[in-house]
Amino acid sequence: MIRPSAPLRATIQRTTPPLLILLAAAIILLGKADQSMFDSLRASLTDNAAPALNALSRPLDAAATAVDRVRGVVTMYQDNLRLERENERLLQWQQVALKLSADNRELRGLLKAAPENAMSYVTTRVIANSGGGYVRTVMVNAGSDQGLARGQAAITGDGLIGRLTEIGSRSARVLLITDLNSRIPVVIQRTNANAILAGDNSERPRLLYANDPDAIKIGDRILTSGEGGVFPPGLPVGTVAALGSGGARVEPFVELSQLGYVLVVDYGLSGGLPQPAPVAARPGRRGKPAAPDEAGVR
Amino acid sequence: MELKVSSIPSLPRVNSGLAQMLPIATTVLAALLAILPVRLPGYAALTPAFVLMAVYHWTIYRPDLLPPIGLFAVGLTQDLVAGTAVGAGALVLLLARAAVLRYRRAFIGRTFPFVWSGFALLAGVAMLGLWALHCLMQLSFFDFRTTMFRTVLTVAIFPVASFALGRTQRALMGATG
Repeated sequence: MIRPSAPLRATIQRTTPPLLILLAAAIILLGKADQSMFDSLRASLTDNAAPALNALSRPLDAAATAVDRVRGVVTMYQDNLRLERENERLLQWQQVALKLSADNRELRGLLKAAPENAMSYVTTRVIANSGGGYVRTVMVNAGSDQGLARGQAAITGDGLIGRLTEIGSRSARVLLITDLNSRIPVVIQRTNANAILAGDNSERPRLLYANDPDAIKIGDRILTSGEGGVFPPGLPVGTVAALGSGGARVEPFVELSQLGYVLVVDYGLSGGLPQPAPVAARPGRRGKPAAPDEAGVR
Repeated sequence: MELKVSSIPSLPRVNSGLAQMLPIATTVLAALLAILPVRLPGYAALTPAFVLMAVYHWTIYRPDLLPPIGLFAVGLTQDLVAGTAVGAGALVLLLARAAVLRYRRAFIGRTFPFVWSGFALLAGVAMLGLWALHCLMQLSFFDFRTTMFRTVLTVAIFPVASFALGRTQRALMGATG
């Protein structure tokens, strides 16, 4: 190996840091000008980091489970009483639900209503978050290999948490509903008024462009409206927690800082996010052209 | 803005490969630690800047083993994996390194409270810079309280990180390191 001479080494040593600083600044500007520029690099790096993050996040998972267990033991007696009461109530609701379900089926048959899209779920584990207050995303340990695709909804048992924005082969990024760039068409259940749920990096996203903002009350349930084809209608999102001049604030049903396992739901909708342009293969050179969104079709 | 960068002093040679890799390895570990999903309310937004702690420590004690190109790679990778603005983390880390390198002599052999206050100053300026950069890029005003709390948490946790890094450094590099 040729070793550079001492003066040359000193020059390299002196000029490298300012050059790198300028390069970093240039990258910031480039990334701002074309936000999709680093998408593939991001996805492949994230894929490579996924196994390490997966392994490192396991002890945290175990710790959270242990804390839950200890808490569970302490509150076992009260929990048992509460659950018994709840169970009694739910059994009554079950009867109601069964009856409604039968009615619903019958009426749908009479109306010849089109059947709803079939749903499929992929259970994923959160392996990383964005660290810092400037973006609100989480990374999950499944990707296109498991059938995930851009735009799919991410939920927990309690409600909506966000949608998939970046897909690697074995990892994916979920843009949380609290992120500055998250805009979700929602409906206020009580008044049936449409609005947009806009994240602003705070814990409680805002309701914008509501049809009748004065009719919104604290405690109103917010569901996805299904407008624009981003999400299916009726996914629970949160409740109105505060009213103010900047719009009503919504407390999400899901505790977003406590995410462990997340369900990714494929409703067979387009997803509302533009797919990256497929590379048009030349006939005779690479076989069939690449199908957009091939990973999402199952 | 003048980017005056001090030259790296000659420090005792480290023969063990493990010891040579230590600064980069701990910086990478710090970057991973910063994005692990700790299930504490509000933690994600307030995650301490672990990488900044590693950069401060190693730039004072072994700047020769944390080359700017390595730091650039770590910063850029962290930006890409964490999903934040690409280049912003790398820029802040490189500027922090340049600043600490200029004044590193003032910190060598001083008491821990002195080193700690140096870090508090660095963390304050770095977090303010990062906040301003993001506000400018998103053309939106991010809640400054989050940045403030994050800075306080970062400064508060620094002694633990400094102790761990110092211990590992002594164990692998000996007293000369």
